[in-house]
Amino acid sequence: MTLDRNAVQRIAELAEIAVTEEELPTLAAQLDRIVDYVAQLEGYDGGDELPGFLPGPSQTPLRPDVVNPVPLTRGPATLAPAWRQGYFVVPRVAGMDDPA
Amino acid sequence: MSVREIATEVGQKLEAASGLNATLHWSAGDLRHQAEVVEAMGRSALGGMPVAVKDNIATLGTPTTCGSRILEGYESPFEATVIRRLREAGALIAAKTNLDEFAMGSSTEHSAFGRVLHPIDPARVPGGSSGGSAALVAAGVVPAALGSETGGSVRQPASFCGVVGVKPSYGAVSRYGLVAFGSSLDCVSVFGRTVDDAARVLHTISGHDPLDATSLDRPPVAMPMGRKNFSGLTIGLPEEYFPSDLDSGVRAATDRAVAAIRDLGGKVVPVSLPHSRFAVPTYYIIAPAEASANLARYDGVRYGPSRPDTAVDLRGLYRQTRGRGFGPEVRRRILTGTYVLSSGYYDAYYGKAQRMRSAIAADFQGVFAGGVDLLFTPTTPSTAFKAGEKTDDPVAMYLADIFVCAVNLAGLPGVSVAIGRSEGLPVGGQFIAPYLEDTLMLEAAGVLERNLPATEEVR
Repeated sequence: MTLDRNAVQRIAELAEIAVTEEELPTLAAQLDRIVDYVAQLEGYDGGDELPGFLPGPSQTPLRPDVVNPVPLTRGPATLAPAWRQGYFVVPRVAGMDDPA
Repeated sequence: MSVREIATEVGQKLEAASGLNATLHWSAGDLRHQAEVVEAMGRSALGGMPVAVKDNIATLGTPTTCGSRILEGYESPFEATVIRRLREAGALIAAKTNLDEFAMGSSTEHSAFGRVLHPIDPARVPGGSSGGSAALVAAGVVPAALGSETGGSVRQPASFCGVVGVKPSYGAVSRYGLVAFGSSLDCVSVFGRTVDDAARVLHTISGHDPLDATSLDRPPVAMPMGRKNFSGLTIGLPEEYFPSDLDSGVRAATDRAVAAIRDLGGKVVPVSLPHSRFAVPTYYIIAPAEASANLARYDGVRYGPSRPDTAVDLRGLYRQTRGRGFGPEVRRRILTGTYVLSSGYYDAYYGKAQRMRSAIAADFQGVFAGGVDLLFTPTTPSTAFKAGEKTDDPVAMYLADIFVCAVNLAGLPGVSVAIGRSEGLPVGGQFIAPYLEDTLMLEAAGVLERNLPATEEVR
């Protein structure tokens, strides 16, 4: 057994996922099975001599450093939860007066 | 047939196939509107060809949900490059199709909106994760559909459903607008009723896109020219893909296909890809690791409904949103990814998997450099399995992709084509080509398609 309930609870916290007490036993058993399965790579010692492999272009292509307009399909007002006079309305930041 | 008539007919077929649960969004009104736009274009390359689209590819005017509660009702503010290119070529975007949540699964049972049924036997799965697209093509609703592959999610359902499934070389097709799962693996891929249908769509959507930094600066994938036979080609059979416990029906169909390759002038040679047996565990470290980072954005602030049931702090909001919004398989993958990337385990898991990925890719490169033009294998170790058969054991589900996921790790092109039936269910054969030899691979698939009776029972 690689992963117990406490370990799974800790991983879930790192992943920012709420897991209930009832879900924990099954989830821990399943994750333990997955981790045991992928751990079969442990015995492999090769590959160090090979260059790291990533498919696709050999280097990140650069584009000209030119400012272009970004045409929006829908304006920012349609995406904003709240919008007033051309600005996003956000919750008040602590210690500052609300200008409105 | 006018484009409007095509649109009406595909709407009727979608309605008739609704029992498969293969679609998530479509409307007759939208199809009519698209038909009017295409007719106004005059002549176009695809002339109103209906193409269904997996619901993890961003479209304007319809939701893009990834089969997840966390994106229920979400509408993308922009459209994927592949969709824009299809529309410009005169295709009709017929429907958004059901999938395993965030493309994580091999059976399309892990959708938040219910499982997709196999068109031949509703008790079975169509494969996954692009099961909705595969089922619609197999049911004759559309001639072609888009799916996506991270670890075989188009070739495997193509094999289960008896249609053509093409995974292009990594970088040949833009990922702009494909919802990210494992970015070094993700690839928009194509289903077709025939190799030609799939090739027409692949030709349309491929080619350089400045909006995707991993897109190759190359012209679109060329159409196959209708090669007659395999003469002059050396086809390798990797021994690791023909294990002794291979399903007998799959073995019989692949044996018949290999005999056909020989009869049609191909030189068939045994080869070995010794590291391929580690492809599934390697994949299930790398893909979840990348997924755990890519899916961090679904937190109730950037994406996802922000409705905590109690007053909580910011982390509480993240945790409640993600705990409730993600289904069980997505949670397992994110947790696995978080674990293998965590301090103290990174080298043991992720570092080792990266080295294994290099070794797997080097095996393929070595075989192709040694004079082999293409590889041929079964696509899947069995035919379509029964719904519920593998849902309790994640690792058993992962092993359904044992013959397909090495191709994704190596960035190579692969195609599955129907090669016969076993107990009434389709069997797929797979060609794997060297990097950027997508057209040669389609030529070979076309030769098999024209010479094998794919719906015939093989014993």
